[in-house]
Amino acid sequence: MTFTVRPDADAKLRGQVAFATDRGVPGMLWGALVPAPVARGRIRSLDLGPARAIDGVIAIGPADLARLLPGVTGAVERPVFPTDRIQYHSQPLAAVAAPTRQLARRAARAVRVDVEPLPPLEEIEGFDPVHPGPDRPDVIAHVLARHGDLDAAFGSADFVLSETYRTAGVCQVALEPHACIAEIQGDVWHVTTSTQTPFGAREDLASMLGLPEERIVVEGTWVGGGFGGKGAPLVEPYALLLARASGRPVRLALSYREEFQLGRTSLPSVVRIESAVKGGRIAGRRVHWRLDAGASLPGRDFTTGYAIGFILGPYRIPAIEMEGYAFRTNKPPLGPHRAPMAPQCVFAEESHMDHLAARLGVDPVAFRRAHVWKEGDRTHLGQKVGPFGLDRCLERAGALAATWSQDAAPHTGVAVGVGFWSTATGAGGEVRLVLSPTELKIIEGEREIGSGSVIRGIVAVAETVLGISRDRVRVDYHDTRSAPFDSGVFGSRTLAALGQAVQKAALALRDELGKRLSVPAGSVQLAEENGELVAVSGRRRAKIRSLLTATELALGGLTGEGRHYGVSGEIDTARVVEGTFYPYTDFTGAAHVAMVQVDPETGAVRVMRYAAFQDAGKVVDLPTAQGSIEGGVAMGLGTALTEETTWAEDGRMSNAGLLDYRIPTLGEIPPIEVHFEEGFLGAGPFGAKGLGEPPIIPVPATVGNAIFAASGVAMTELPMTPERVARALKLL
Amino acid sequence: MTASPARLTVNAAPVDLTPVPVDERLLDTVRWRLGLPGTKEGCRTGECGACTVLIDGRSVLSCLALTHEFAGAAVTTVEGLEGDPAGARVRAAFEAEGALQCGYCTPGFVVALTSLLKERGTEASAEELLEDLGGNLCRCTGYAAIVRAVRRIHGEMP
Repeated sequence: MTFTVRPDADAKLRGQVAFATDRGVPGMLWGALVPAPVARGRIRSLDLGPARAIDGVIAIGPADLARLLPGVTGAVERPVFPTDRIQYHSQPLAAVAAPTRQLARRAARAVRVDVEPLPPLEEIEGFDPVHPGPDRPDVIAHVLARHGDLDAAFGSADFVLSETYRTAGVCQVALEPHACIAEIQGDVWHVTTSTQTPFGAREDLASMLGLPEERIVVEGTWVGGGFGGKGAPLVEPYALLLARASGRPVRLALSYREEFQLGRTSLPSVVRIESAVKGGRIAGRRVHWRLDAGASLPGRDFTTGYAIGFILGPYRIPAIEMEGYAFRTNKPPLGPHRAPMAPQCVFAEESHMDHLAARLGVDPVAFRRAHVWKEGDRTHLGQKVGPFGLDRCLERAGALAATWSQDAAPHTGVAVGVGFWSTATGAGGEVRLVLSPTELKIIEGEREIGSGSVIRGIVAVAETVLGISRDRVRVDYHDTRSAPFDSGVFGSRTLAALGQAVQKAALALRDELGKRLSVPAGSVQLAEENGELVAVSGRRRAKIRSLLTATELALGGLTGEGRHYGVSGEIDTARVVEGTFYPYTDFTGAAHVAMVQVDPETGAVRVMRYAAFQDAGKVVDLPTAQGSIEGGVAMGLGTALTEETTWAEDGRMSNAGLLDYRIPTLGEIPPIEVHFEEGFLGAGPFGAKGLGEPPIIPVPATVGNAIFAASGVAMTELPMTPERVARALKLL
Repeated sequence: MTASPARLTVNAAPVDLTPVPVDERLLDTVRWRLGLPGTKEGCRTGECGACTVLIDGRSVLSCLALTHEFAGAAVTTVEGLEGDPAGARVRAAFEAEGALQCGYCTPGFVVALTSLLKERGTEASAEELLEDLGGNLCRCTGYAAIVRAVRRIHGEMP
């Protein structure tokens, strides 16, 4: 297959794209953070004196906030520095800035911190969540929902399968560390930063610093990988405060160790899943989930009420109960990691499905297809299922798995796993298109993070509506001062939500051109003639230049605006007993197939072949879509096999580096087949569904099921390291 | 910390550096003293490959190299591969296969692969080249498109 070239490829290959880490300004100071030496404890004293004694060093701590932020009246929701209690290891207690990187690091080490250590709260199992008792973590979220007659389902079951799964925390590991440059420009607090959500960062910074939003400007740079880790501000508040204190621009970048220690990663969870089976069908399912939320604040946890639904699966089950707890422990705050907690929840659910099928002695794909949602069904919370291609993906995956199984060598297994997701098209966005005589400019406020959804995805939408060639379309990023509002990159929403704003703006332009040409709007397309854009409708042709007024020409072109603020479906609140659950916007399915080989002597698992069948609605740009699936699968293989944050007894992350925390390397990735299932249309432009997160979701389950097929052992813990597989095989 | 002058050849041009601290890394010298940010700063501990440069034609992780160690040597960064035919082949193959997403690891891959091609030409099989690229991490592409790009260079497209 020959791919069309990404417009950013050449500059990236020549190293000419400037990331936040690459930025420098004259007179800039280098910042560094002062880490908490324990995971839990009380601060007895914090002495910045030794750092300040170093020539050229600026140091700030909690005592300086009142002076630096006169607008802050004390109890802000998220204090920049703790004043009393340390909540996680390496939590920033103070910050320093110096003329060189080395000096800044030295100054950070010079700060004297005296703490009274307390044993960190890490356990989320082994106690009653309703009455956790002293020295147990607080519950920060509790969700409970029920539907149907669960007692009857379990009381009359042919059998009940009850299983417990444990999943490890995983890190985003974007290769670019968090970095920013902050500068106070008069009244304006300006930060140039690597962020997935410039407007969200502005809102969060305003609340942390006690400033009105209009005094904060967030300018996004090209992002060197996000995966959820570059949403909420991390380095920005410290850099801004150091800039304010020093009167100089301040660059603050995390070391890679800090990336692991401070990054808002995913954290461990425990899933209990029980199914009552009667007559070969699932009659009832009960799930109980415990999630480690780290030092997250109460009320700020979205994950629990969203991801828990994935443990019930995209299946018709007459009676259900789901209950989830999130606990506040002494780990860094929980953050979103590509499809937050869905791969982990689905690992439990889809492994359980294969174990049920095995117990029944039936084909696991046929067993799934007997239960899987189709359009018009109701979800567990009563929402009507929209166009959903999962059954078709399953059918194709099952056929491929049957073919692969014929080649299966000894100790080799082939299996299927599925997942589903819903694009965050409810989150709004706006764009402004400007059509000049020679190009179409997309003015917007979201940075390309790598997936291609900005640089290719939304451009392809404009191309399709207006018939314009891609080299005549330019994405013109603006900072939060002058860009139209956009929610940012999360929830696989860029093409599906911001793309709808582009579609509306392009349609507005097309309508206007139709009026000016006195032809039906739908008939207008753009073409090129002697280096200029022309509007064409049947035999009518007119240069864009000739269709614009003098004022429009002076202002750069004809403007079309597009706004998209989506709506979500509705859940039946009568089924909710406690907490907040979220409806889906669209229904995006995926069925994967893995062939693995399990070493019978070491427990090492090698993934030999892999295939993904993705329900995509409509593929808008094939190379971008394919890249997203391949990348998602590879990241999922890391979650499945090697990636795991480990924590020492003192609450410190004990594998904060790329040698100890293993992401997949080039030689470990098998050939990945990518297949798209189109036609089950989503909410995005032309029926597109978001593809950023869906491809990671089924991977751990699919690999686990293939291990089950290869060796007969049921893996119930992630990641499935050689040691864990060897234990399951009773080799250890 | 002591510092002393250092002389290097960077991208074919001799450069005389004002006193450089003895512990300064080559990565920081090229990025911050010489204004060549194409060499990316990733882990700074030799684990990710984003900072790969060539020293006398061979791949070196510039985050682990002290500038003074390489006084007198010829350093080539991604910016120095502009006119290099092997570099151009690598860039063309990566473009054609879409073998990049965020682009942060990309210069490291370009430099490492260019050096392998120059050193070993077409003697090495695609499999050998791929094995030698194992020290460069990429989180976005899942390596699938990078593997296709390497095979394309070898004319081994499936």
